[in-house]
Amino acid sequence: MRGLVPVFKRELFSLFVTPLAWVLGTAFLLLQGLHFYLIVTHFATQPELAVDAGPVETFFGQTVLLYLPLLFVCPVLTMRLFAEERRSGTIEPLLTAPVSTTGVVLGKYLAVLVTYGAMWLPTLGYMVLADRFGAVDWRVVGAGYLAVLGIGAGCLAIGTLTSALTRSQLSAAVLSSLCILGLFMFGMGEFVLDEGAARELAAYVSVWGQMNELSRGIADSRRLLLDATLVLVPLFITVRAVDAWRFE
Amino acid sequence: MIEVEHLSKSYGSFEAVRDLSFQVGRGDVVGFLGPNGAGKTTTLRILAGFLGPSDGRVRIAGYDVREERLQARQSIGYMPEAAPLYPEMRALEYLGFRAELKGVPRRRRRREVDRALELAGALDMAEVTNANLSKGYRQRIGLADALLGSPPLLVLDEPTTGLDPNQIREVRALLRQVAAEHTILLSTHILSEVEATCDRAIVIARGELVAHGTLDEIRLARHRAARLELWVTGDRAEALRIVSAEPGVGSVSVEDAPGGVGHRLLVEVGSPPGELAERLAFALAEARIGLRRLATLGTSLEQIFSELTEQPQAVAPPEPEPADEPEREPAPDSESPEDSRP
Repeated sequence: MRGLVPVFKRELFSLFVTPLAWVLGTAFLLLQGLHFYLIVTHFATQPELAVDAGPVETFFGQTVLLYLPLLFVCPVLTMRLFAEERRSGTIEPLLTAPVSTTGVVLGKYLAVLVTYGAMWLPTLGYMVLADRFGAVDWRVVGAGYLAVLGIGAGCLAIGTLTSALTRSQLSAAVLSSLCILGLFMFGMGEFVLDEGAARELAAYVSVWGQMNELSRGIADSRRLLLDATLVLVPLFITVRAVDAWRFE
Repeated sequence: MIEVEHLSKSYGSFEAVRDLSFQVGRGDVVGFLGPNGAGKTTTLRILAGFLGPSDGRVRIAGYDVREERLQARQSIGYMPEAAPLYPEMRALEYLGFRAELKGVPRRRRRREVDRALELAGALDMAEVTNANLSKGYRQRIGLADALLGSPPLLVLDEPTTGLDPNQIREVRALLRQVAAEHTILLSTHILSEVEATCDRAIVIARGELVAHGTLDEIRLARHRAARLELWVTGDRAEALRIVSAEPGVGSVSVEDAPGGVGHRLLVEVGSPPGELAERLAFALAEARIGLRRLATLGTSLEQIFSELTEQPQAVAPPEPEPADEPEREPAPDSESPEDSRP
């Protein structure tokens, strides 16, 4: 694990000094703000349409608009992690320092995870606003953020992996977008496939299903186990990949 | 300090390094020479632990680079070719990060960074963002990075490439300065670099070792014979007679010295001149023949380098001529002893 803390700090520094984190964060907030505005407006003008869910539940679990930024933000946050260092050569001093590959991978991953969390933080303001003008179940809010964090953590781990596979940031971003989109679409099989193993699998890995459940405050440990798997497996492969192109 | 045994590294079917073995002792300053593409950078990357060897064994300060990675890396200050830096960081921040990575304790970090910056002559650029540094300063930051934590071994990949002559002189001075406390292995394809800073050299070509030793040893292994140049004034025939009579002297050729004053004698000597030069000087002085110049014309390292590295692959043993043909006395009329090698 040696190297985790300095690498983590340097990645955060780099994300916030280069305007990437700010640009992404601003764009993300604008989009989510618009998203929340649409939902609130919807509820304000047609209150009789949705009786089983309030604006907060809808924000987290009922629209596809939540995922679009996810699909965009995670690959962009992670694409530079290894690809840029390999392209510019800075990976060489980094990996010849007395650090463990695991430490480097985890340090980088945790930095993007924290950045991702920081990007969501201001959306708490929406909840505060919603609470002021209506009743908000804070347990639902908590479950919603748990889902957002869990799914984001998986997407970021996938992005970390694809960044370690190529020298091109663009390829890394495209590859991780495809993986995330693929996962999302496969989950949709829950509503489409015939009864059977494939449908159950689709239901199990369904991002949509997870958001939907958690947005209603249903925390299922199997979903969290899936998230943990989606984090650990890609990160494990990342460590192997970083070692592979050096030592094979 | 460095032990390399039968090291090989291939990229796919291309063998970048082939069965390379050498050692570098503690305190040595060793030049790692070879034409571009000879496998220098690959070898240094393996030493630094960036790449893994395909075959063979490498030990740094007694630690195996594969089995005791962290200890081995801890013992090396490595500067990669072109010294890549994170562009968005200031030199000071970057070196602080590097010091932390290398395990310099927090209390000593700032002092250690200042020390390295000062040694590398980059203190004035400490607050400048890396992206705005000139090539020379980037190189110095890279050097400062290698010096952080005072590792016993410095491995520098082309530390002077891309620098202007003044900067090259400064880097060389720096290397001489730190040579007292560090073992240094530096790669280069510039020969004067080796002459100026190193006491030993390792020459590789096409991934194989072609020579290894002190610079004099390398010269001698290739060229047992040397030439003396004498510039004498006075009687030409007398001078020629005295010089030819001295034991150890091979053929002598005479020509008028440039400028018309005196004569220039080129003396072929079978072995390194040593005290033969003195004996010649005394003999000439005794005969009242003026001696304006007495110089050993060693074969230049350039010449040896090109011979070593441009030969076809068949000839590549580390010791080009073993002792099976000792002290061959050149015939007085032989043109040039160097050419008699197969």
